[in-house]
Amino acid sequence: MAVIAPAEAHRPVHDHLKLNRAGLWLFFFSESVLFGLLLTARFYLEGIQREELDQLLGLGITIVLLLSSVTAFTAETAIEHDNRKLANWGLIATIALGVLFAAGVGYEWSIAHFHRDEAFGTLFFTMTGIHASHVISGIGILVLVWVQLLRGRYTSRDHWPIAGAVMYWHFVDVVWVFFYPALYLVN
Amino acid sequence: MQKAMQTGMVVAVILAVLTIVEYVFAVNFDDDTIRFIGLSFAAVGKAALIVYYFMHVYRLWRVEEAH
Repeated sequence: MAVIAPAEAHRPVHDHLKLNRAGLWLFFFSESVLFGLLLTARFYLEGIQREELDQLLGLGITIVLLLSSVTAFTAETAIEHDNRKLANWGLIATIALGVLFAAGVGYEWSIAHFHRDEAFGTLFFTMTGIHASHVISGIGILVLVWVQLLRGRYTSRDHWPIAGAVMYWHFVDVVWVFFYPALYLVN
Repeated sequence: MQKAMQTGMVVAVILAVLTIVEYVFAVNFDDDTIRFIGLSFAAVGKAALIVYYFMHVYRLWRVEEAH
């Protein structure tokens, strides 16, 4: 049976929180390398050239994702102030908007007229595919913390899982902030 | 909470305006180089707003209460 050393048992909670935050930001850094390399490959292979894409759809899913960041922020702010009802609705809205974004990307894939054998097609499917996989995993994480919220797990003093999930969601949004102009708007 | 929400809403409006401006700028501007530079600035600005106000990056080096 594991014995917890007294010093470990009495370590202040905010130390754990700082470690959690630092770990998550290190994770974001490693993910940034991946997404940065994808962006580099996009401009290295195709310069500022691009194929025709549905501009309104691109703008629409971008606004949906930005809106989901606002609802995620609302959920986090609400639980920081013990407002479970607002946090609940904030998480539900974020999950719904995330699903809408993923559906939009899926639709874009279905109507994309270029082939995956073309350089831009490969880049487009790889970049949006890896990003969408992060969106889908983010939805999964948000659903998990939402269920825990419904069970009364979180308070204003103990809500790191919501804060962490929301930070991850914002990170996914930041990645799209760079991917959207790189894929849809240059040239 | 009201103050935090107000800040969040202001940032959200700025992000929405920047996104629309980015789109209109890209659709209507002919010079590739200037368009690329403009889009890059807009993307960096939007990312900085999200990282600071929504992801609370400053909390990394701030001593504060437990979550």
